[in-house]
Amino acid sequence: MQLKLIYIELVKIFGKVRSLLGFIALAVLMPLIIWGFSQGASSVEQDVERWVGDSFIIVGTAFNGFLVTYITMNFLWVHIPFLLMLVAGDVVAGEGALGTFRITLTRRISRFRIILAKLISTYLYTIILVTFFIIMSLGLGSLWLGIGDLVVYDDGVLILPQEMVWGRFAIAFLFATFVMFVAVTLCFMFSAMVNNGIGPIIGAMAIIIIGLAIANIPIDIFETIRPYLFTSYFDIWQKAFYDPIPWGEIGRDVLILSGYTVVFIVISFVHFIRKDIST
Amino acid sequence: MKLIDDFLFNTLLRNLFVSNSILSVKELTKSFGKRKAVDNLSFEIREGEVFGFLGPNGAGKSTAIKSMLSLIKPDYGDIEIFGKSVIKHHNSALQGVGALVERPDFFEYLSAKQNLSMLAKMDNVSEGKITEVLDIVGLSTRGKDKVKAYSQGMKQRLGIAQALLSNPKLLILDEPTNGLDPLGMKEVRELIRKLSMEGITIFLSSHILHEVEQVCTTMAIINKGKLIKSGKVSELLKTSEAFITEIHVKPIKKAYALINKQTYTSDIAESEGIIKVKTAYENLNKLNTLLVENGIKVSAIIPRSSLEDYFLSLTGDIV
Repeated sequence: MQLKLIYIELVKIFGKVRSLLGFIALAVLMPLIIWGFSQGASSVEQDVERWVGDSFIIVGTAFNGFLVTYITMNFLWVHIPFLLMLVAGDVVAGEGALGTFRITLTRRISRFRIILAKLISTYLYTIILVTFFIIMSLGLGSLWLGIGDLVVYDDGVLILPQEMVWGRFAIAFLFATFVMFVAVTLCFMFSAMVNNGIGPIIGAMAIIIIGLAIANIPIDIFETIRPYLFTSYFDIWQKAFYDPIPWGEIGRDVLILSGYTVVFIVISFVHFIRKDIST
Repeated sequence: MKLIDDFLFNTLLRNLFVSNSILSVKELTKSFGKRKAVDNLSFEIREGEVFGFLGPNGAGKSTAIKSMLSLIKPDYGDIEIFGKSVIKHHNSALQGVGALVERPDFFEYLSAKQNLSMLAKMDNVSEGKITEVLDIVGLSTRGKDKVKAYSQGMKQRLGIAQALLSNPKLLILDEPTNGLDPLGMKEVRELIRKLSMEGITIFLSSHILHEVEQVCTTMAIINKGKLIKSGKVSELLKTSEAFITEIHVKPIKKAYALINKQTYTSDIAESEGIIKVKTAYENLNKLNTLLVENGIKVSAIIPRSSLEDYFLSLTGDIV
């Protein structure tokens, strides 16, 4: 039954135009970004050579699909959650607004199963959209610009050999997906509390933007509260490109993010199971 | 006409021989803030009944129905369906229940069949059932159309179709004729009668008195969240407080004065040569004799008992 419910939720999600917006945005944006980078390839190449000087020999070209993907991941990690929240914010609240709970919740299926199906299908949507992002960035970038060593910055310039980069990207995308889960769960929690699909998106995005600002602005008072904010650990995926990979630090970050996620899930489940369907 | 006769006959038979309690509402109470939407409401529905749940807008009908279906949690009281508490055993209690609560809202970007297919999976019934219920409500040719292309009447019928998907023994319909034109209303009422004849117990909430009078065998009237009256429709209508009689007489002034003196009459009104008076059915002979013996020409005595009169006499509200 749970699989049936998840299938039903996926039909509802992919039947909506708003669920396709993320794919359309990435399908348009990523080729544009890669094309833009390719037009400025020589200047990027010169910058990289200036950083590394004569100390390193780069296999292939420094400006390649890996570098473009790495740069793109850096500036899109605030935008991708927004695309995901278009769905996560609507998945519960949208039905509340539409009034369809009066039909679905009067059937002999527990609310727990229904909210669980909604959460799992939201996560599946997240995985599908991130996978599409991987295809459009790493896949398209590699085909368009080729591959080679990856030049990253981690307390200095670090060059990751080509054969190591695929694995590092796999780890980075795994953690990026995990971070996206945290963001969508926050939005999902708000979605379970209200009957308006827009409110959860605005609420969750506001929290993430403010949290990221606090995490990055170097002010003493912010330093104090930084460890308690889940947004302070949103850059966990970047650690996949450190050498060596700081697994201990990553493990701690994963635990903290998991803790927040569990709290968001518990709140959303309890609220949904107990709430009166008045619409 | 034959349908109505069959319906009444079948209902009578069932009421004579079968009387299992299907739905039992016990001391149901629900408040929203300081306002009590439902106040200590208790009633029972027996197998085979077409139960009318009557009340003016805002009387607490929908709150009571949502509590029955576990959409909202009551503050106090319990609801048992097929002997199982909806609050404690949601899944098993709702097995065999089909419901249409308030508006029939669907995923408008999906077709009627897609909507029903999702619900059929939840109800664990075969896809073949979808065609069957669409056929019952007369939408079999429009099943592939998106719901956003449906008229209000079609959505209403689709709402009934989804309620029938799980082969319910108890069908809970909240204002099922809302938004329908007179023909659509007639079709829905006939459908309700037909379903009742097939053995489905029906709970029909409505603020349309005529509808309850036409379709239901038993009823409960609520106002301001409280139960005012419940029982068989025919018996409730026979009570004196509901019984209005039209008397066509000449001279009207003399007749009015005479009727007004009697202790067994009340609420006398006179207009256009007709006197309207409230009195019990068994007093009509006595009244006729009295008028004739006093030299008043009586051309007609017409009992005008209606649920509307009855309802207004109980609530004093406009429905």
